[in-house]
Amino acid sequence: MKVLNVVGQRVPMHDAAAKITGQAQYTDDLVLPGILFGRLVRSTKAHALIKSIDVSKAKALPGVKGVITAQDIPDRVYGIVPKAKDEHVLARDKVRYIGDEVAAVVAIDQETADEAARLITVEYEELPAVFDPLDAIKEGAPLVHDNTPGNVSAQIHKEFGDLEGGFAASDFVFEDSFYTQAQNHAPLEPHAALAGWDALNGDMTLWSATQIPYFLKRNLSTTLLIPEQNIRVIKPKVGGGFGQKIDMFAKDFCACWFAKELGRPVKFVYDREEVFQSTRQRHPMYLTVKTGVSKEGKIIAQKITAHADGGAYNSTAPLMITLSCFFVMIPYKIENLVYEGYHVYTNKPVGGAMRGHGIPQPRFAIERQIDLIAKRIGVDASEMRLLNAIEAGEPHPAGFIINTCGFADSVREASRAIGWKEKRGKLPFGRGVGIACASFPSGVANMSHLASGCVVQLSSEGRVSVLSGAADIGQGAETVIAQIVAERVGVPMEDVHITAADTGLCPLDAGTFGSGVTVRAGNAALNAANDVRAQLFPVAAEALGCEVDEIEAANRLFWVRSDPDRSVGMRDLLRQYQYIDRPLPIVGRGAWVPPATSATTLLTNNGNLSPSYSFMTQAAEVEVDLETGRVNVIKVLTAHDCGQPINPMLVEGQLEGSILGGIGYALYEDSTCIDGQQHNPSFLDYGFPTMMELPEMEGIHIDTDDPIGPFGAKEAGEGTQLAPAPAIVNAIADAIGVEFDRLPVTPAMILAALKKQREESAAGDPAAAGDPAAAGDAAACHENAPREEG
Amino acid sequence: MGGRRILTLNVNGDDYEVVCAPNTTLLEALREKAFLTGTKRGCDLGACGACTVIVDGQAILACLSLAADMEERTIRTIEGISEGGDLSPLQQAFVDHGALQCGFCSPGFIMSATELLAENPHPERAEIQRRLAGNLCRCTGYVKIVEAVEAVAQGTDGGSR
Amino acid sequence: MRLPRFEYYQPGSLAEAVTMLSEVPGARPVAGGTDLLVNMKHRVEQPAALVSLSRVPELAGVRSEDGATVIGGGVTLKQVQNDEGLKAKFPALTQAASVVGSYRHQTMGTLAGNLLQNTRCRFFNQSMEWRSVRALCYKAGGDYCHVMKKEGVCFCTYHGDTAAALLVLDAEVRVEGPDGSRQFPLAQLYSGEGKAPLTLGTAEVMTAVVIPEASATDGASATDGASATDRAAGGGSPAGGSVYLKHALRGAIDFPIVGAAVWRNGDATRVAFTGVDRSPLRATVLEEALAGRALTPAVIEEAAPLAPKGVTITRSTVQPGSFKRDLMSALFTRAAGSLL
Repeated sequence: MKVLNVVGQRVPMHDAAAKITGQAQYTDDLVLPGILFGRLVRSTKAHALIKSIDVSKAKALPGVKGVITAQDIPDRVYGIVPKAKDEHVLARDKVRYIGDEVAAVVAIDQETADEAARLITVEYEELPAVFDPLDAIKEGAPLVHDNTPGNVSAQIHKEFGDLEGGFAASDFVFEDSFYTQAQNHAPLEPHAALAGWDALNGDMTLWSATQIPYFLKRNLSTTLLIPEQNIRVIKPKVGGGFGQKIDMFAKDFCACWFAKELGRPVKFVYDREEVFQSTRQRHPMYLTVKTGVSKEGKIIAQKITAHADGGAYNSTAPLMITLSCFFVMIPYKIENLVYEGYHVYTNKPVGGAMRGHGIPQPRFAIERQIDLIAKRIGVDASEMRLLNAIEAGEPHPAGFIINTCGFADSVREASRAIGWKEKRGKLPFGRGVGIACASFPSGVANMSHLASGCVVQLSSEGRVSVLSGAADIGQGAETVIAQIVAERVGVPMEDVHITAADTGLCPLDAGTFGSGVTVRAGNAALNAANDVRAQLFPVAAEALGCEVDEIEAANRLFWVRSDPDRSVGMRDLLRQYQYIDRPLPIVGRGAWVPPATSATTLLTNNGNLSPSYSFMTQAAEVEVDLETGRVNVIKVLTAHDCGQPINPMLVEGQLEGSILGGIGYALYEDSTCIDGQQHNPSFLDYGFPTMMELPEMEGIHIDTDDPIGPFGAKEAGEGTQLAPAPAIVNAIADAIGVEFDRLPVTPAMILAALKKQREESAAGDPAAAGDPAAAGDAAACHENAPREEG
Repeated sequence: MGGRRILTLNVNGDDYEVVCAPNTTLLEALREKAFLTGTKRGCDLGACGACTVIVDGQAILACLSLAADMEERTIRTIEGISEGGDLSPLQQAFVDHGALQCGFCSPGFIMSATELLAENPHPERAEIQRRLAGNLCRCTGYVKIVEAVEAVAQGTDGGSR
Repeated sequence: MRLPRFEYYQPGSLAEAVTMLSEVPGARPVAGGTDLLVNMKHRVEQPAALVSLSRVPELAGVRSEDGATVIGGGVTLKQVQNDEGLKAKFPALTQAASVVGSYRHQTMGTLAGNLLQNTRCRFFNQSMEWRSVRALCYKAGGDYCHVMKKEGVCFCTYHGDTAAALLVLDAEVRVEGPDGSRQFPLAQLYSGEGKAPLTLGTAEVMTAVVIPEASATDGASATDGASATDRAAGGGSPAGGSVYLKHALRGAIDFPIVGAAVWRNGDATRVAFTGVDRSPLRATVLEEALAGRALTPAVIEEAAPLAPKGVTITRSTVQPGSFKRDLMSALFTRAAGSLL
């Protein structure tokens, strides 16, 4: 049994006091001498050629220090995925969506910069635009990028087993279609960047609200043509990201460009409207799922076709569609499987990584369809999930290596805790329960740029200084890393001081995405801490007269395992270390890269996608107000296998926040567009859940001990956003017998459906009235009438 | 009436003399003139509560308040909550309960909850929700924020500080 | 998002405020600012000058005058909802005050400001940059409507919560202007037009809301905050009472999609709605059907479909008109039911 002192403890975030007192510094809090303020001018057309831009009035405005358009900066594209770069800092030749950047200004204050931006006029020649991915793939559709025929900029086709054979061997085959909407990450901190230029040394420093300091550094170099070794990116405190800041934006590049041109610091801060319209959003997706099952509910074959609305640029397109594909292969065992996915350009706001990254969409479709199928063939939806559950150590069609898997337990525990047997189908009309399941990677392997490094330094006073590249965006990465180091070096948390995400000081890190930070950067920190042990413990062994492997350490004390009274304190030990003339500080170095079966591109090859996989089942109980259509989520619980939590309090916080975001996805949030224009670009109109929408939440931990993660840890908090929406919509179906196939489910939709149900009921159709006796009637209860075979 | 003038703003007991125009909001005055950046700009349109400060005992939105209207009033910001460097019981409860993640909304929550507890030291959960619902948080799911305020309200937490 | 430039005046008395409003070109009064300043940041309203009412003593306080209840225009919504006298007599009003926006808006916003808020539309309440994508709409001074496409008519919708409550309470408003003081029924405050929804003169200040004693009901006082979205708090006794119910997507921050107020005293019933048309309105067809009838569950059920009758429902790009019609009937049913 593991004895742990710091890991596994409910330690407050190391920077909690700074945050709660207002002392924590976010990018917009920083001011430098001589600072200038910027503003971007954005496209008012969804698709148009830029004929001319008149900046003369802006330039003439007193206080304006600089104005640029695409013609003033290098003709280079940037992008988070190296092979999918397609975005210019400022649009050259043509604009591709309303909100595309066309010019930038800087001035002595924000008011002047804003006024100057309004004085810039752009002459456009409008082009036909396309706003729906299913229209965009049609022949003759307008091309968003001339070099991308059909507007499909990334696609994936994976085939395992014998799909047609599987369908033929199935007792039933059902095909259903689903749609999921655009969701905005809506971090509380708007995107911001502050750049400073040292003309003497040619050094650029950028403070940016980013999740990916090292990718940003590289892109600044390749886009602005500044040598990478002259660029330092510092991530101050970041006020939430959820994936939206896994990208770089015009604000980063323009701040640097102006800083260099003008020799003065430059800050760009986006308005809330710009965050909604011109950063990133969860991809809307059309999905069709065709599934063959045995009469017991065993999934024999499944085909998924997905069209993602990518908006005007790629951002993470190839990665998103890959993740979307690979995570339909888990947590269920499906031997005959085909996934076809397309990332399609449209003249709309840009899709990007968002908590779950391409997976919540197919998860919604699959988990909804399981409930539909269970109802149609008359099996229990929870039992059907168990019947298809994947287990640890089983061979996987794509080559996933699943070392630990608490999935089946999570289904059982969630079903038990929500009262499945007592409640499902048995509550009064208007009230219901539902479950849904998911799995998520702990970071992505088999890709480039995925190493993390760490340096741990132990000073003569016993201060432990950690340098990590990991980007804490509020989730507590720095705290988790500090806990890991404290545990291994044998000191309390307060002795550990971490400096992170400063590319000028800290070793390389991939950044915060794919839920990989705890495993990847955590393992790097563990290795660095082990390096410190390797240097320190022999001296302790010498002092205590024992073998090195007999040394235990905690709380600044080192003792012999078999004889705890023989001990030495950290201060004495370091003094001895000095006396024998060894150099202090002790510096430990560590690095970690996810073990990949081979270096492949998962878009075209298979392989183990992640070092480990988290599993979860979420259960919801809802009450539908039959007169107003409001859905009151009474309870959401999560049974969750995230390995060993390094910090249970932070894990809970991750789950709770993730679930509320999932509730928003299910019922509240919809980043809508009209004629390509983002229609609700404010916290008022977008409407993500407030404290009034808070349901009862419960977390159930499924214990596993993963061999790869530090102290057995796996992913937590991102996968949790995959299943709340289908769980809730499944619960709504249980409550009122209406099977929704799109998100979000709004009160207006519910009232309309209930009205239709009453009308059909009056016309004598029992299935439409939610009559359980009619539940087995497959075709009648769903508007996408399935084809029944076998 | 239309030009800039020097305002005296009493913030956390100190008189700040700041040059403001009529269109300078209290949020801009605090952040950009007095360099009190603990008060956050989340939406600048009154829909997130990140800029909440307490003026004459009332928790208000600094982004929709005019600096010029704030003379002769007593303004309290997050920087004035932890006097002498000690966390208030509420702040300590937020830290201990993990009621913050990215921290960007936290100052606003502390200000709203401080006003609530000053007016009603023992609010029920429904009252806590209603009075803090104007403060948005995207990280925590609010669960631990409610728990932290409840803990202080019920005297089970932070009382010793 | 910065405010546009304006001149700023801070009168210390009502007379001074009225003088400034009549003498300073383009001047507008501002109290809590939660509606006007957002609109100014969006540049849909750009007054040349603002006259602050925050230091005008005549606008403060709740008092009794010849039996009627007089609520100063500058009384905040927080003060309204916490006033024990108002809670006991006019629960619909205190409930409505307690569900406006978020508690922060209730703390800053005044009762007069809530009544005088501008009408709204998803195409109008946007930044200047956002609106520059499209032709100027009627309300913004242009020649187009992006929603209804009906020639010359702006369908911006009124969403104030307290107006519906005060309509069923037969409230009057008192205004002070260059020509002195006048008092008139609340309904006359609203022009019925989306573009210019208010009938006040540019130099007039709403000094008070006056509720006749005849509208007071001896109901049990509403529970604090329990009148949250959709859920009836109950604000009545067997003799009668009043209640306000709001349906919005979220339980806070949002404007009502539909708000409904019902008042009952013996066999007399009044019903009003907000969020459905360019002004708040009394449901006249429904009220006629209920006239002289004792409210019973059967009567409510029979009358409920009449709630939207005779009302022009302004649909929007966000909510279908049919949904608003359904909500009117549903909220009426629930509100009236809570008064039995």
